[in-house]
Amino acid sequence: MSKLNAYKRQARLYHSQRYGIGMLFMLPWLIGFGVFVAIPVGWSLFMSFHKVSVVPGGFKYVWLGWQNYRDAFVKDNVFPIELITYFEQMLLMVPIIVIFALLISLMLNQRFPGRFLYRALFFLPVIFATGQVLTELFNQGAGDIPFLDQYNLEPIVREYIGAEFAKTVMNVLGIVILILWYSGVQILIFIAGFQTISASIYEAVRIDGASPWDSFWKITLPACVPFISLNMLYTIIDLFTFPLNPVLKHVKDNMFKIDTGYGYASALAWIYFAFIFVLIALVLWLFERSMKTRRART
Amino acid sequence: MSNGLWTEKARAQLRGLLWSRETQKVKHVVLGRNLSDGLLAKLILYFLLSIVAYLYLQPLLYMISTMFKNMSDLLDPTVKWIPRQITWENLSKAYEGLRYPAALRNTAMIAVSCSVAQVMICAMTGYALARLAVPFKGLITAFVILTFLIPPQIIIIPLYVIFSKLSLLNTIFVFLVPAIFGQGLKGALFILIFRQFFNAQPQSLEEAAKLDGASTFRLFFGIMLPLARSACLVVFLFSFIWYWNMYYEPSMFLAKGFTPLSIRLDNLEDVLNPSLLGHTDSVRNPVTESTKMAGAFLIILPPILIFMFLQRWFVTGIERTGVVE
Repeated sequence: MSKLNAYKRQARLYHSQRYGIGMLFMLPWLIGFGVFVAIPVGWSLFMSFHKVSVVPGGFKYVWLGWQNYRDAFVKDNVFPIELITYFEQMLLMVPIIVIFALLISLMLNQRFPGRFLYRALFFLPVIFATGQVLTELFNQGAGDIPFLDQYNLEPIVREYIGAEFAKTVMNVLGIVILILWYSGVQILIFIAGFQTISASIYEAVRIDGASPWDSFWKITLPACVPFISLNMLYTIIDLFTFPLNPVLKHVKDNMFKIDTGYGYASALAWIYFAFIFVLIALVLWLFERSMKTRRART
Repeated sequence: MSNGLWTEKARAQLRGLLWSRETQKVKHVVLGRNLSDGLLAKLILYFLLSIVAYLYLQPLLYMISTMFKNMSDLLDPTVKWIPRQITWENLSKAYEGLRYPAALRNTAMIAVSCSVAQVMICAMTGYALARLAVPFKGLITAFVILTFLIPPQIIIIPLYVIFSKLSLLNTIFVFLVPAIFGQGLKGALFILIFRQFFNAQPQSLEEAAKLDGASTFRLFFGIMLPLARSACLVVFLFSFIWYWNMYYEPSMFLAKGFTPLSIRLDNLEDVLNPSLLGHTDSVRNPVTESTKMAGAFLIILPPILIFMFLQRWFVTGIERTGVVE
């Protein structure tokens, strides 16, 4: 019996030692998570249910319940519109970015002299497609494609898809190059993804007489599905904090208004977060399902 | 009748020509055996890529061309890309308006120190999640991913209060301290990259080292971290670029004196035109456009230079790290 106990003690010691080292490696992150994520997140959730006003020496909280959240949709006549508009734009922007990244990376993945130069070129915007430089370019109207004005596309677009959605489409087209600039990382992810498909598979199907067209649809694309989903997720998260994003501007404006303040701004941010979260969950679910059916078939 | 016979003959001759050895050779060179290795395919590829690249880089070209325009060129609609007279005045004005040397030093300090911290801490955390025994590992991994999703706008006010309680505001530590504790800019992404990388390494390596009596720390700093050189480079460069361009957080945490380039670009308009102070957006002064483009160019110049030197390692690094998968 005592032998068993001793054995148990030793096992526990062994495990705690193993856990100890692991915890030592994790410790900085755990502390950081507590101080710089968990507490602020909890706090902002707490604030979103209160009317927060700044008084000397701190904050004053008045319990409001769901009032802030209700106000966001009922009283605020800007927020719901901006939220829906940006959401619509995002539904358009995400496929544009991902498909563009896929096409470009397919081309860059071919062997040709000077492809390093082109790769560098297409990655270049990652360096400055963030923050102030982008905003400045946008403000000066540098991001639109030239033929948009030349051919006066707007009436055509409106005729085909209705006035309601046409505005969104035109908005997106107006900054389409700046949006495409958001595809640098995605292009890299796709290129890296192509490396994981072994060359021998292509060799094998070519011997079997498959055309390049076939091998793209039958091999490259299916192997790319996980990377497509990864890129969609990355794009959504990236667009979420797009510097030209009207929703975030609205949140920031409300933070410093006296009659709304931090509580209301937090509620707005949480609503926005919830919307994006649903979108992300949807993408994850769709891809999970498509992967499963694919696995079931093979 | 004879006409038909003639076409028949020509057709036969053409067929012979098409199937002759020489033509086949030419065909292979022009069209290629594969989709991608023919001359024609390559020409099309270059053509397409060049067009897209031109569209893609157009804002950048706009920036550079506007930068060199003086007032009359800017207002003259016939001058589109190439200014009649190249002026350096905008660059010098922007240089002064941004107080470039000081701002550059601030930005570089933030970017370098935070990126180094990110590389170290994210590598450690990623290694722990990939290889070490950690209680509730699944839950912690889920939390790591979750931190990637939380928008900064949600937590900025509580963070502000925390930083002011720790009296870190207006110092570099606003960014360095979170980075040291693994919560730097997009830190979650980097942790996942390292986790992926360490997961892909063969287990036997560690076992061999352990049999030789190496401690976990020796193992990590002596073997695993040097192995992860390419991942470290990728994380460092990404982190560097994102810290360099970061705008939102500094605009909240850094008010006076110690401000990076991005904030100063935002304030450039006010510096150039003190009389317009307070009139934002509604009064956009076209006169300062050139100067602001020059300012934007000054901001992106250093990272572009760094990237030019490192891009070959960078791109191959990404391919080899298995950032994806």
